[in-house]
Amino acid sequence: MNWSVLDWHEIGQAVVDTVTMSGFSLLFTIVLGLPLGVAMFLTAKGRLMPQSGLYALLSLVVNFLRSVPFVILLILMIPLTVWLIGTSIGVAGAVPPLVAAAAPFYARLVENVLREVDHGVVEACLAMGARRRQIVLFALLPEALPGLLAAATVTGVALVSYSAMAGAIGGGGLGDLAIRYGYQRFEIEVMVVTVALMVLLVQLLQWAGDRLVLHFSRR
Amino acid sequence: MLKKRHILLMALLGAASLGLRAETLTVAASAVPHAEILEFVKPVLAREGVDLQVKVFDDYVQPNVQVAEKRIDVNFFQHQPYLDKYNQSHGTNLVGVVPVHVEPFGIYSHKLKKLSQVQSGATIAIPNDPANVGRALLLLARSGLITLKNPSNIFSTTRDIASNPKNLNIRELDAALLPRVLDQVDLAVINTNYALEAKLLPTRDALVLENGTSAYANLLVARPDNKNSPAVKKLAAALNSPAVRHFIEQKYKGAVVPAF
Repeated sequence: MNWSVLDWHEIGQAVVDTVTMSGFSLLFTIVLGLPLGVAMFLTAKGRLMPQSGLYALLSLVVNFLRSVPFVILLILMIPLTVWLIGTSIGVAGAVPPLVAAAAPFYARLVENVLREVDHGVVEACLAMGARRRQIVLFALLPEALPGLLAAATVTGVALVSYSAMAGAIGGGGLGDLAIRYGYQRFEIEVMVVTVALMVLLVQLLQWAGDRLVLHFSRR
Repeated sequence: MLKKRHILLMALLGAASLGLRAETLTVAASAVPHAEILEFVKPVLAREGVDLQVKVFDDYVQPNVQVAEKRIDVNFFQHQPYLDKYNQSHGTNLVGVVPVHVEPFGIYSHKLKKLSQVQSGATIAIPNDPANVGRALLLLARSGLITLKNPSNIFSTTRDIASNPKNLNIRELDAALLPRVLDQVDLAVINTNYALEAKLLPTRDALVLENGTSAYANLLVARPDNKNSPAVKKLAAALNSPAVRHFIEQKYKGAVVPAF
């Protein structure tokens, strides 16, 4: 292998693009996915505010977004993306579709994490006369925090690999570099380096996530 | 009465014997537009004593294999860069006889009317797969927007741009996405098939269109041993006739342009 063919400036830019895309997407995914997940948990049958119609609707939206292939989602969302941020190409243009793909995924994980919280906690709160908002904010979410962080880590890792497909809209990033130069142009060196960097990035993310989970589990 | 019938029979027999003596020429071709163009010249060749047999392939390797192994006489589906690459990797020596048509790349814009209006720092979207990146960059170079380190390298990448005087921001996007983002970029270099599907008419809407001298002209391809045979020469002449030019221009309305 001839490592001198590598353009480190290009690779550096790809790292920046991947981190920017996945980072901003993860932020907005949590901002949107957490309330959505909580809403699904609360409206489910036998929970705090059962609303079977609303639950079915939320569940349908989540399943719809999770089942549309990402590249199709990229294209379907072009008008919305342009309306939101003014462009549908480049790193910025990749963030809304990434969020649209990841937020429902995170919401479903949030719903599952909340279901795992001991129902006794909720009952104790109700017995003490707590309001529903108080139960959610001061009992359910703090109790579920380690699980929510673990779910965010899983989502972050998924976003790193989703971001590889953002190359279709000129988002760039490591995955795009690996596909276009490593795979399509047989530049094995580029493939090796970009894939190694992606693995490293995912490892770092998982390590940081695990540390956070551990930290909040001790209490 | 009897005499009349006799004459008719003689004529028929004569025609049949001519038909038997007509030379058969087999040609492997892609369905559109290649086979359609060949079907158009078939009657012309029949008058010249060549029975043209068109065999449609939807694959890009078999037509060359069949010709190289002498099972088919000639083929018509590829351009020179593809032929070069094929000969190089398969150890064959197939040769181009005449160029016939180009399915041209065009530079399109919703914001600009002329290429001279391109501002410094403008954004240009091009396809992102290797063959199309090279082709798009060549068109940009020929239009004077950039220069390439090696203008004859059809696999140039954005790394091979030698100068970019207007400091253009060249973005590589999925080819099918280009017409869909035309509103958001200053220029886009788009394959004709995708332009047509997005209701862009190459001859009307493109600021610049690849012309017949493009390296990507589709060729009639033969072997060294038959490229000068009378039948192949007749086919070549028919494919480059004014009638075919007219047929291409009328039928494909700029989506396919004559390359002769």
